[in-house]
This record gives sequence, C-alpha cells and structure tokens, in this order.
Amino acid sequence: MAAILRDLLRYNAEFRIGAALISVVLLLSVLASFSPYPPQDVYVVPPDVPPSLTYWFGTTSRGQDVFWQLTFAIRNTLLFGCTVALISRLLALVVGLVSGYKGGWIDRVLMSVNDTFIVIPLLPILVLFYFVMRDRMSWLLLALIMACLGWAYDARLIRAVAMSLKAREFTQSSLFSGMSTREILVQEHLPYVMPIVFSTTMNNMVWSIGLEVTLAVLGFTDINTPTIGGMIYWANQHTAMVAGVWWWIAFPTIAVIMTFIGLFLLAVSMNDYIDPRSRLRSFGEVS
Amino acid sequence: MLAEATQAEPPEEAQPVLWVRDLKAHFRTDRFGIKRVVKAVDGISFAVRRGEIYGLAGESSSGKTTLLKAIVGAVRPPLEVVGGQVDFAFLAGYGGLHRAPPAEVARIRWRHLSYIMQGSMNVLNPVRRLRSAFVDFAYPHIGGSRRQFEREVVAHLARLKLDASVLAAYPHELSGGMRQRATIALATICRPDVILADEPTTALDVVVQKEVLGMISSIRREIGSSVLLVTHDLGVHAHVSDRLGIMYAGRLIEEAAKVEIFRNPLHPYTRHLITSLPRIGDDVSREGLVGAPPNLADPPPGCRFHPRCPLAMEICKCEVPAMLETAPGHRVACFAVNRSEEA
Amino acid sequence: MASLGRPVVSVRTLRSGVLGAPMIGYLAYVGRRLAQFVLVVFIGINLAYVITHASPIDPVEQSISAVTSYGNTAPEAIEQMRTSLRELYGLGGSPVAQYLVFWKRILGVDFGPSMSAFPTPVSTLIGRALPWTAGLLVVSTIVAWGLGSLLGGLAGYYRNSRGLKLMGVIAMGLHPIPYYILALVLLIVFGFIWPVLPISGGSAMNLPQTLTFDFVISVLQHAILPALSLILIGVGSWFLGMRALVSNVVTEDYVVYAELAGVRPWRVLSSYVMRNALPPQLTGLAISLGGIFNGAVITEKVFGYPGVGSLLVDAVYAGDYGLVLGVTTVSILGVSIGVLVIDLLYPLLDPRIKVS
Repeated sequence: MAAILRDLLRYNAEFRIGAALISVVLLLSVLASFSPYPPQDVYVVPPDVPPSLTYWFGTTSRGQDVFWQLTFAIRNTLLFGCTVALISRLLALVVGLVSGYKGGWIDRVLMSVNDTFIVIPLLPILVLFYFVMRDRMSWLLLALIMACLGWAYDARLIRAVAMSLKAREFTQSSLFSGMSTREILVQEHLPYVMPIVFSTTMNNMVWSIGLEVTLAVLGFTDINTPTIGGMIYWANQHTAMVAGVWWWIAFPTIAVIMTFIGLFLLAVSMNDYIDPRSRLRSFGEVS
Repeated sequence: MLAEATQAEPPEEAQPVLWVRDLKAHFRTDRFGIKRVVKAVDGISFAVRRGEIYGLAGESSSGKTTLLKAIVGAVRPPLEVVGGQVDFAFLAGYGGLHRAPPAEVARIRWRHLSYIMQGSMNVLNPVRRLRSAFVDFAYPHIGGSRRQFEREVVAHLARLKLDASVLAAYPHELSGGMRQRATIALATICRPDVILADEPTTALDVVVQKEVLGMISSIRREIGSSVLLVTHDLGVHAHVSDRLGIMYAGRLIEEAAKVEIFRNPLHPYTRHLITSLPRIGDDVSREGLVGAPPNLADPPPGCRFHPRCPLAMEICKCEVPAMLETAPGHRVACFAVNRSEEA
Repeated sequence: MASLGRPVVSVRTLRSGVLGAPMIGYLAYVGRRLAQFVLVVFIGINLAYVITHASPIDPVEQSISAVTSYGNTAPEAIEQMRTSLRELYGLGGSPVAQYLVFWKRILGVDFGPSMSAFPTPVSTLIGRALPWTAGLLVVSTIVAWGLGSLLGGLAGYYRNSRGLKLMGVIAMGLHPIPYYILALVLLIVFGFIWPVLPISGGSAMNLPQTLTFDFVISVLQHAILPALSLILIGVGSWFLGMRALVSNVVTEDYVVYAELAGVRPWRVLSSYVMRNALPPQLTGLAISLGGIFNGAVITEKVFGYPGVGSLLVDAVYAGDYGLVLGVTTVSILGVSIGVLVIDLLYPLLDPRIKVS
C-alpha cells in the first residue's frame, strides 16, 4: 500500500495535485481544535472586518472570525462526507458482493431495487425528510439517511467485480474446501474489491458533500452546526454579497472547491492505477 | 477437393511479393519508473512468394502477432520498429508500411495488402450491419455505383459460399464461424496480393475450421493471393501451408517446405514440436521440454533456446546462431545442426 | 471452388416466428423497462410515505398552525384544509386504510388545496410551474449532454490536440464546482459587473403570458443564465465521461481493424468510435437524471425562476405540506418518465439489446 502511494506520488501529476489539495483541507480541519472561539458563539470579534493580519479571512456580520469558523466548517463537512461514505460503503459492499456472488433471482431482485435507488430523485426526498423532521434534523441523521439512499451506484460496480471473481478458479476451490458463502465473500473476495471501494469513496464524498451544501444553502439542514454550506447560508441570510462582505462567501467557496477537485483528482488517479485496461495498454501485450 | 488444394505444389521459382529483412520490433514501456523493453520480434528475415501460403508457427508469445503488426504497419507506441525493413512487390523504397506516407498506405491497404486480425469475434463493429463494413472497407478501392458495388459484394460472398443476407445482419446475430467467414470475405473482397491471417481458425470448432481453411486455399487459387498464415496449430499448417517458418522467442529458427519440415525437422525445438504431435497408433510416451519459454523482456543471451535445448553447447550461450541453408530451401539457425552438417 | 461441403446457412434461419426474434426481443425489453418504471415509482412514493409517517411530529397540525399564525383565515377554510391533509396524511382509520387513501390521492393527482396559496389546489400550482422547469431542464440537459459528448469524444480521439487538452483541464476544474457557486458567480458577473441579461424571473413582469413574440423573446432571455449555469456544470462531466469512454473504445479490435483497413479517419471517428461510446453515455444520462433536481432547485432559487424548484423551496418555508408532497411526487414521476424514455430510445443506438 505504501509503495503504491509512493509510486502514485512520484509518477502521477493528478494524484500529486489531489493529495496536495486534500492535505491543505485536512490541515485546516485539524486546526479547528486550536480555535480560540467556540464554533457556536457569535459576536466574539468585531463584525464585517475585511481580511487583515489580525483576522486572516476577515470576520462575519455575526461577529465570527471567518478563518476559525472555516476550520470548524471544513472539519464537520469532511466528517459528514466520511460518515456517509463509510455507511454507504458497507451497504454497497453487502449488496454488491451478495448480488454478484449469488446470482439468479437474488441478483435480479437486488439489482431492480438497486436501479430504482439510482434513478430516484434524492433532493426532493431529502427536502421532504427535512420538512417532517424540522428542528430534530441533526447532521448525523442526515448522514444516515443519505447513506441509506446513496449506495446504489457503487453496489453495481462492486457487483460487476464480484461476478468476475465468482468465475475465477480460487472461488471454486474455496467452495470445495468447505468454506461458507460468508467466509468466501469476506476472506476471498473482499480484498479484490477494496481498490474499487477506495476510489468510489472519493466520488461518494463529492456527492454527499455537494448535496449537503445544496441543502444547507437552502437552509434545509441543522444550520447551527457550522458546515461549508451552513456558512454560505448565514452569509446569504445577511446578504453578504450585496453588503460587500465578499470574504464571508469567498473563503468557504474556495475551500469546498478545493475539497471537490482534490477528491475528484484522487479518485481519477486511483481509477487509472486500478483499471487493468489502462495498465495493460501502457505495458503492451505480446502474443 | 480439399485434398487436391493442399497437394498442389506452388510454382517453385515464383517471385517473392513480400520480403522481411532483419526486422526488429520492440515494445518499450516506462510506467511508474519501471522501464521495460520487450523484444517481441528480434531480427527476422524471410520472404513470401507470389501465390503461396507461407505458414508461421510457434507457441503463444513467440512474437508472431507482433511480426504481423509490424508488416501491416500497425506500429504505435509502445510498439516500435527498431531495425530492419519490410518490402513489398507493390511498394518499393520505403522499407515498410510504417515508414510510407499516409496516402501510399491508404492506397496499399486492402487493395494490395489485407489483414485478418486475431480474435475475429471482435473485429466487426458491433452496432452496425455488415453491409456498412463492406462499404467502409472496400468501396473507396472498388468505386463505381453503389448498386454495382453491392452486386460485386454479393458475387464475392457467393463465391465463398455465403448468403447475401449476412449483409443485413449485425455481428452478434451471426455464429462464430459465420462471423469468421464474413471477416475473411471482407478481407478478400478487393482481391489483395497479400493476405496476412492471424490465427484465423483458433476458437472455432473443427467443422468450421475445415470450412475456413478450405476458404483460404480456394481464395489463393481463385485470386492468386499470397497468404501469410500465422497459427500455433501445426495441424492447420499441415493442412494448407506450402512453406513453414518456425518462431521461437522472437526469432525465426527454421524454415523449409512444409513436407520437409514434417519429415526432416532439424532444429531441436522444431523436432520437439513435430514429435510431440499425436499420431494414431503411436503409444510411445513423449518427453516434454524442460523449462518455460523465455521472458522476452529479459531473454537469455546467445541462442534463446539454449536453456531448454538437449544439444546445447558452450557457444550457444554467448553467440546467436545464423540462419544457414542446409539443403535447398531449408534454413535453420542452430550451431549443433550446422556444425554436424559441416563435418 | 466447391470445396466447402456443408450446406449454406442463411441468417434468415436464425430469425424465426411471425414477428421474428428481434421484434420479440424488443418487446421483452420494453416489458422489462416498463416493469422497472413501475418499481421506481412504487418505491419512490413508498419512500415518501415512510418518511412522512416515521416523523415524530404531526405535520398536519404543524402546517395548520403555520398557516393560522399568518393571520385571519376563515375557520371553514381551516377545517377544509385539515380534512384534506388528514386524508393525505392518513391519520384516520386503520394503517391499511391510511396507506390506501394515500395512494388514491397520489394516483388521482389530488393533493388538496395549497395552504400557502389557499384555496388554489396544489395540482394547479404544480401544473403552472412544471412547464418552466421541464423546458429549462430538458433543453439544458440535451445541450449539455450533446455538447459534452461531442467535445469529449473528439478529445478522446485526438489525444494530442492542445485545445482539447486545455478543454479537459477546464472541464476537470468546472465539473466538481457546486451548482450554487457557479450560479452565484454568473449572477454576480451578469447581474452586477456586466448587467446585460435579466437575472430574475421567467419572463418580464409587464408582459402578459400569452404566445406573443415579445413574450417568447423575454422567456428566452430570462432562461439564458439559469440554462447556462446548468449547461456549464453538465458539459464538464459529460466531456470527461465521453473522453474516458472513447479512450477505451479506440483500443477495441474493431476500431484498430478499421484504421488498419484504411477506413477514412472521420468515418472511423463517427461510425466506429463515437457510435460505440454513445450507448454507455446514454445510460449515463439515464443514471444522472435522478440528480437533475439538485441543480434545478438551486438554479431556480438563485435566479428566481418560476419552476417547481422554487415552488418546493417556498413550500418548505411556508410549511405547505401538501405542496411539498406534491412536488416530491411529481419529481419522482418526472424523472422516472425521463429514464423510461431514454431506456426506450436505447435500442436505436445499440442493436444488441434486442437479443440479450
């Protein structure tokens, strides 16, 4: 694993840029622990101060330091993305492996449900969810429901890998050696699907963070927990753009774009590394 | 009829139509810091005469397909032609299609030189009907009105015992054998001088194999094309080839008329290939070769066969044996054989 | 030349029956897609049902109180709303009866009167907003998909072209930007810095909404910015998707073979490369339709476009339960129909679907 990372860092420009961007974002989120102000408090600093040496990213109309606020926002947004990714990966793995390995009617039923979840428009459903939950909506609850709705596409990818694994010889030999389905899937197949799980994690995070920002900008999340979308929501509430407090929107925007491009580049470069076709192409085949 | 076709001896003094001289084609890759050079074709010389079926045999990854790619000019990274030349009777002065200007290449291909690709299951565009393949491939060369062209295609198909209805079919609607025969029809519609055929019978069942081989020999007879037939299957060569070249690890090691190779194989590797063919009524157990074919990224020095050769001598480990003629039309690259001939 | 002993096999023998195998295959395919369509609608509506019923708060009373807090609504009107909402929400009767009443309402496209725009029925409000959203989304999706696929296909085929490489870098940077940010940037640029385009509404306020020349021009002008923001985001991802597809297709045997055979380059590009990358790209479009509302809601909100996205957001702010449920249902239906249409078009691009 370490060797792969080193190779990617050395020879893949996309991976280098992606890793650099994500490192900056991670560093910011770690800084949240050193913030002099609690995230929820308002009017701790003079409001509407432009970026300066004292307040690097300026201050908000609510009297918060944009820099420290941003560290909390990034931390929470990343945590949110990771939580959704983690839970949805588990669902996608179970559905994908079982569907691909079992085949037959189990596969058909699971994939019909799967395809349904791929096409159902999630935003209206999530808005409806917010509508009935209102103040009880916490980011953990949102993460849970998004994970429950956002596994389908990746389950299909994992299923494709599982189907090809099923046809391989070692599956048969483990079957004859008396291993149970669960043992075969967990001990034999899981290691082969891990690369695709990693690369889909990045894409899933881009998806869930994007949706969270959308919901938060509209005010359809727990707006008291600072997230990137939440920051933009509050800036809009105070018409920051019109009032000329551009730094309140600009810095969270830059942060989220960095996160997105970083995750996206990591996913692309890892895919490139994993995809046997692109590897074969560069090594050439002899026959 | 089939037997007759295979018995027909090619005119011995026929002019060559394709010469390959000391051709070297290597794969060069550089990925994640690992540089590799795979010497898939490493100094091969031979000639194909007008109207003959020249067979090339050798196990998989002995460089057969790479050789064909280099001849047909399908040279793109990571494959590179690093030395030698390929000349055709119909194209002089460039030393190979990969060096010829695009206009020349466009003129030559299909009209004079056509190619039946390996794994023909996948060489036809899956989303278009076969008719469009004939139009795309051959219409620019044949010309005339569309209706005339269509008539010509149907006549050609009929000559190859194919129904005109294949033209309206998508590739997936045809069986494997039908698809292969349609591909051969596609490759021969322009009556080319040379046809390069890469494993045209592999993955077909025996009955269809026979049909396809019959097709190839009758094309040779009807059109007078030369065929460079590449397959690992010596049975196929025994059936249709006139002369036979044996490849091992990117080099040609023996060449002779088919009957000569089967009756009097000289190179230890050829001998191994021939004697390991199963024969009815023969129950002598056979000795396998020790070891595996060499890794072409790091081939052994000298004769590439020496680590597995029962006759290996000291010289085989450091010098490359040259192809020497031991009898008229019979060339072999082996120190042991050539020494004993001299003695 | 009579050396082939076997009788000639015609393709015709492969096709059988009155309809012929391809036709039957196509009908079976249509049947499967229709079944999938019904399943999507069924699961989607059930999801809406479960979410609304799993809620610990009573959305009906909450909505009523939200409406009454605004001021003086007639008591009869409130009663009428309550009855309609109770039925829609189904708090009366057994669980089975509740579930059935819910479906009856949905299938009858009857979500009762809107509370925020009483007494206009929810279905009327949605009906008024739907053409705006449908027009905006259909046009911008088709333009983004077509343009992205075309340019991405070219970029995958001509891998050494400088311009197309640059376009790839731009697409890569543009693709992950959230809709909201891009819409906001467009709003600032064309609304404040260089105010040449209308930045709000679906048409000019002073024009009657009839089919006059001025009205049509006004609608088009107002649509430019919302459509542009949707297209700019969309083009990037279709560009990248098609480029990746094409760079795989160009290594396929049939492409290599056609190039070797001297088939003209533009013909190889159009009929061999692009043509074979198109079916998966179309599947990609079907898969992405579910996410189409994310962009629509934000874009409509930012540009004050009078579509269902704005309707949904305003309904949430106003606590209009019937309207939220109505928009959710309609969007599930709309997307499912869109996917079905694409599924039915798919065999036109890929003949293999008829047999598999």
